[in-house]
Amino acid sequence: MTARTRTRRLSRAGLLAAAALLALAGPARADGEGGDGEESPAEAGTTFRTATVLDQGQHGTATASTGDYLYWVFPVAAGQTATAEATVTLPDSATRSGPSTWRIDVYDGLRRRQACVSGAQTAVAAQEDAEISLDCTLRTVRSWAEPWSNDPLPGAYYLRLTVTDLPDRDLGLPIGAEAWTTVEDEGGAGDFGGELAAPLLPVGSAGSVDENAGSGDGAGDGTEEDGDQARYLAAVPEPEGGWSGGWWTDRWLWTAGGGVLGAVAAVGGYLLVRGPRRPSAG
Amino acid sequence: MITRRWSAALLCGLFAAFMAGTLTTGAVADETTPDSQEGPPPRVDLVLDVSGSMRERDMSDGQSRMAAAQQAFNEVIDAVPDEVYLGIRTLGATYPGDDVEVGCQDSEQLYPVGPVDRTEAKTAVATLRPTGWTPIGLALRGANEDLGDEEGTRRVVLITDGEDSCGDPDPCVVARELAASGTNLVVDTLGLTLDDAVREQLSCIAEATGGTYTAVQDAGQLGDRLNQLVRRADLPVEEPTDVAGAEECQDAPQLGVGVYNDRAVFGEHRWYRVAVQPGQELRASVSVAADREVNPDYGVLLRAVDERGRELTRGTGAGSGRTDVVSTGLRYPVPQEEDEDGDGESTADGASGDSGDGEGNGEAGVRYVCLDVGDSFSAPDAVQREPGLPVELTVDVVSAPGEPGDVAAFGLARGWVPLVLLTGAGLVAGLAWGLLARLGTAIGRAS
Repeated sequence: MTARTRTRRLSRAGLLAAAALLALAGPARADGEGGDGEESPAEAGTTFRTATVLDQGQHGTATASTGDYLYWVFPVAAGQTATAEATVTLPDSATRSGPSTWRIDVYDGLRRRQACVSGAQTAVAAQEDAEISLDCTLRTVRSWAEPWSNDPLPGAYYLRLTVTDLPDRDLGLPIGAEAWTTVEDEGGAGDFGGELAAPLLPVGSAGSVDENAGSGDGAGDGTEEDGDQARYLAAVPEPEGGWSGGWWTDRWLWTAGGGVLGAVAAVGGYLLVRGPRRPSAG
Repeated sequence: MITRRWSAALLCGLFAAFMAGTLTTGAVADETTPDSQEGPPPRVDLVLDVSGSMRERDMSDGQSRMAAAQQAFNEVIDAVPDEVYLGIRTLGATYPGDDVEVGCQDSEQLYPVGPVDRTEAKTAVATLRPTGWTPIGLALRGANEDLGDEEGTRRVVLITDGEDSCGDPDPCVVARELAASGTNLVVDTLGLTLDDAVREQLSCIAEATGGTYTAVQDAGQLGDRLNQLVRRADLPVEEPTDVAGAEECQDAPQLGVGVYNDRAVFGEHRWYRVAVQPGQELRASVSVAADREVNPDYGVLLRAVDERGRELTRGTGAGSGRTDVVSTGLRYPVPQEEDEDGDGESTADGASGDSGDGEGNGEAGVRYVCLDVGDSFSAPDAVQREPGLPVELTVDVVSAPGEPGDVAAFGLARGWVPLVLLTGAGLVAGLAWGLLARLGTAIGRAS
């Protein structure tokens, strides 16, 4: 074995290791940031600020009272289509006095309500039902959108679960809730151009009012460096592959394939028209 | 052989490095959590109704309400995290008589808010016997004082089995006043009975402060819920800064990055101002909470306006039916330095003229964006207007995204149409080239 082939193999092994590492890094890091490893959070937040962080695919449970507003927050990257799902274990039907309507709402990191493309966003539970399921599929997240649009962008998404209509006397009865999200990669068709400089993450730190307003030593300059991450609500884990979905898209293959086909067609066309070389040339 | 050993070593090394990385980040995360707790400790005051009706034995396991409450308190005292300051206040614990005047002043601190001595606290709870009246409003005010007025989470958990038997002050009004007094007070209520009037009053108190209402039927549920509410106080969440929005942009307070609390009465507009450098993006979101009975249709409007009053962008949110908040957000990237000279100059003039307020614009280039928050909540006439609805505003400034050159990723093509087009173009080019070549040879031969 020559020295050259050995180095080549070595570098290949290194590449493989790096690839394995990258594959590992995503979920492992997410677990680390989630705090308790694979343990699923057993509490839900009650406001936007206190929303419980769920990773993609992670299940969160909570015990609560009928009428509570339960909040979870989860990450979605560009090119992904997320589905938020929830089930509610209703109070004992003997203690309830009528049907109740339940709803999930999804808000983006800027608390803008996001439309559900499909799924049972609201559902009515009859008095005898023991459980009710809700789900909401969002639009595919774009990597960039004009500031004037309401298009879904990479970042945190809030899931809010609550009862919207119920007999008054059923308020406050104990319920169980479970929420989780699944994401589907949309593939090349969902790979858009442009990139957001920063994902839409909710701010969590207390604000500071600039007393001498107008003097212009603007909060604008200091803030950028101070708390780049510290100011954000909680460790909303970055999805595997990054917020923007990375550089890879199958559009490279399509376009390259088109180029190859074009070249082949060009050579074919050339040969066809020019005609076979005359033997006289030889 | 050598290769395999090498790659194994490489793998191990990389893995070790990776583990070290994870471990350090984990450690950092672990350190930051208590760090943020360093500040003021979260404080919780449990307010227990010890009125005569607590004697009733109607918990689902045959216990009296009082016994269930005492059992739950013991559980909570055992489970309370060390960093949480816990206090206990009673109402109706001392005066068994019939005199309204005296009975309605009967609320006292049983255990001061502070680090919990578990035995002492339990002994104090064990001495309680169902006795007197139910002055809830008074007890809430007392609890607010018990908690002190330092920064940090402040929660009251009210456990009662009856509506306020004193009437004055109305506990729901008291709760709203306390919540609006800028002290971040949240009241969670637990009702030990399924009575309609009690439920209405307790859910009103909870709604007014952003808390929750629970109907309790047995001691186990009471203990679990109490524990949960106490743990909730311990979340590492910063309390928003209080700010008072102005009526006009030029008087508006200048906000940095962070979360803010304000109040807006029905129909009122609140203005704030944020300094943004060109090339940065302003992100703001606002939620207006319905902390009282409101009409079923409502909305919120957040506008970003420049110093000259021109609207830059807006966010709207609307809804219908039962809700806690209605929210919206916006983002506005401030363009890099002015492109056109003429227009740019006038912008700069406008900026220094409007926002200078006599002081002048210290730094060139900083743009002030005004945020205008308005909502369309309305309420039946009987509903109290003051204090206003809670407004929560978040402001963030990040570097702005560049405009993409193409809507598709990297401007790349995808699908059969571009494939056929490229092939067709290649074919046409090849044909043309071949034709030229043929002509060339023909001409060459002719000459």
